Amino acid sequence: MLDFLAQRVAISALTLFLITLIVFTGVRMIPGDPARTMAGTDADEAGLQEIREKYGLDQPIPVQYVRWLTLALRGDLGESIRTRESVVKIVALKLPITIQLAGFSLLIALGIAIPAGIFSAVRRNTVWDLLANAVSLCGVSIPTFWLGIMLILLISVRLHLLPASGFVSFLQDPLGNLQRMLMPAFVLGAALAAVLMRQTRNSMIEVMSANYVRTAYSKGLAERVVVLRHALRNGLIPIVTILGLQMGALMGGAVVTEQIFVIPGFGRLIVEAVFTRDYPLVQGVVLITASSYVLINLLVDVSYSLLNPRIRVKGAADES
Amino acid sequence: MSPEGGGTAAVPQEGADAAMAPAPVVRRRTWRRALRRPPAVAGAVIVCLFLLMAIAAPWIATGDPVRTNWGQIRKAPTLAHPFGTDDLGRDVYSRVVWGARTSMQAGVLSILLAIAVGVPTGLTAGYYRGVTDQVIMRLTDAWLSFPFLILAIGLVSILGPSLVNATVAIGTAATPTYIRLTRGLVLSAGQEDYVQGARALGGGDLRMMLRHILPNIFSALLVQATVSIPGAIIAEAILSFLGLGVQPPTPSWGTMLNTAQQFLETAPWMAWWPGLAIFFLALSFNLAGDGLRDFLDPKDY
Repeated sequence: MLDFLAQRVAISALTLFLITLIVFTGVRMIPGDPARTMAGTDADEAGLQEIREKYGLDQPIPVQYVRWLTLALRGDLGESIRTRESVVKIVALKLPITIQLAGFSLLIALGIAIPAGIFSAVRRNTVWDLLANAVSLCGVSIPTFWLGIMLILLISVRLHLLPASGFVSFLQDPLGNLQRMLMPAFVLGAALAAVLMRQTRNSMIEVMSANYVRTAYSKGLAERVVVLRHALRNGLIPIVTILGLQMGALMGGAVVTEQIFVIPGFGRLIVEAVFTRDYPLVQGVVLITASSYVLINLLVDVSYSLLNPRIRVKGAADES
Repeated sequence: MSPEGGGTAAVPQEGADAAMAPAPVVRRRTWRRALRRPPAVAGAVIVCLFLLMAIAAPWIATGDPVRTNWGQIRKAPTLAHPFGTDDLGRDVYSRVVWGARTSMQAGVLSILLAIAVGVPTGLTAGYYRGVTDQVIMRLTDAWLSFPFLILAIGLVSILGPSLVNATVAIGTAATPTYIRLTRGLVLSAGQEDYVQGARALGGGDLRMMLRHILPNIFSALLVQATVSIPGAIIAEAILSFLGLGVQPPTPSWGTMLNTAQQFLETAPWMAWWPGLAIFFLALSFNLAGDGLRDFLDPKDY
């Protein structure tokens, strides 16, 4: 057990290290003088020299990397070119908004996908199963941002039911916050729901054909009890992993969703940073996103192995 | 397979061994198996239609997709402009048709790029194992940790926004999936008797990879390509929607939707068609891909 954990942590640490290398190299690949990029267009030569010294840009690349990494480990990701604020501070301000959006859409996605997946698996090859599969296929194919635009068109422009865009903090105005979050969260959750529904269905079909489920049936237990008490518990295990892996898609989706619904979160931040060529901010945001993805999946794997000793042993064997 | 003619009477039984049947029967059986999946066939047909639309855009479009007409701004659909006109008086139908070219180009070329880089890398990792494998796979893990879209956005910010750069960025972001998949396939193919046999006969590394392993993992790679192209098409649309892909006035479904969003109340048709086009194209690819996977599965008869 400890072996598995240690191995998992070591691999994650290595991955994180490689991520920093990739991000650092990526920013180095931007054509032009990094000092000029950082200073903006209106800096003079003296200003540029000052920046070079301040950030150690006059030193060899490996030295620069070590310096950057040391600062990053201390939580210093530099400052935004545009606002001169610390990158970590800006992100810390925006992140809670995106976390709320992501959490909300996760709830919506799970709320749709799990019941629909179970239902499809239990009523396999019926009209309902076919319908659920068709809806899920449409869900994967529909571009998130178009779904968002169409919902705004229908619900806000035509029916005037919900506000089309904007954001208010939950603490300021709980109802207004939920009203404004509902559509974006649904849009972001729709694609995830489609993927999760398919997985739930497949995994439930597999579990339902296991011997112990047949035993449960032949004991005379009601179908509801067999499905919910016996099958579901094992059927949901793979969903946890898929959920971890889908976090990346959720982060990417948040960028688009926040753009459409004008939500001032993490996703909008990265687009703004790209447009204003605010490289330290882009670098910081990408680094934080990738690192959190690795950490989330580490947590998923660890909790997964705690839940299921069989996978723990098998997983350790696979990793080697 | 013997090219025995006149195998008309031999109606194949369920589970019959295809390798034993005469060629025309196999061909007919293949057709019949394909036609048993109407949604997949429909998907493949629609994909072909979109492909045709992309190739023949100059003849299918009724007008110039970039010509502005100040007298025809944001007009609702009419006979002359079946999809209406946009904020600069351009014909939305013509722009949607030309947009197919952009989307197909970005979707197909980016995945080809991912395959061109990912498959040889995965082959190398899976074939040589050991340290090479470890190094490649750890790098791939790190690469995969960047969410697809975030990585594409980051790359475009380095390369600068354009269709070519968006294609390169999407291809680069899709590459690790192919490395992983190929490696896994090579690892399992390497265990097969025919590969072991070829090795025993003294086949060189390159010959082993190209002649014995690659053909046997080809179908799995083909399925993966079919299901990742719609993702790449949507990714291009998203990048263009965000202003990081195709630059105006070149028609692209993503940029069209970006503009359309500003005129939802007055000209909703501007938002319908480009979105429907992306949706149908992606859906068709997914249907075709699902069908292809079932079709190529040897267990499925």
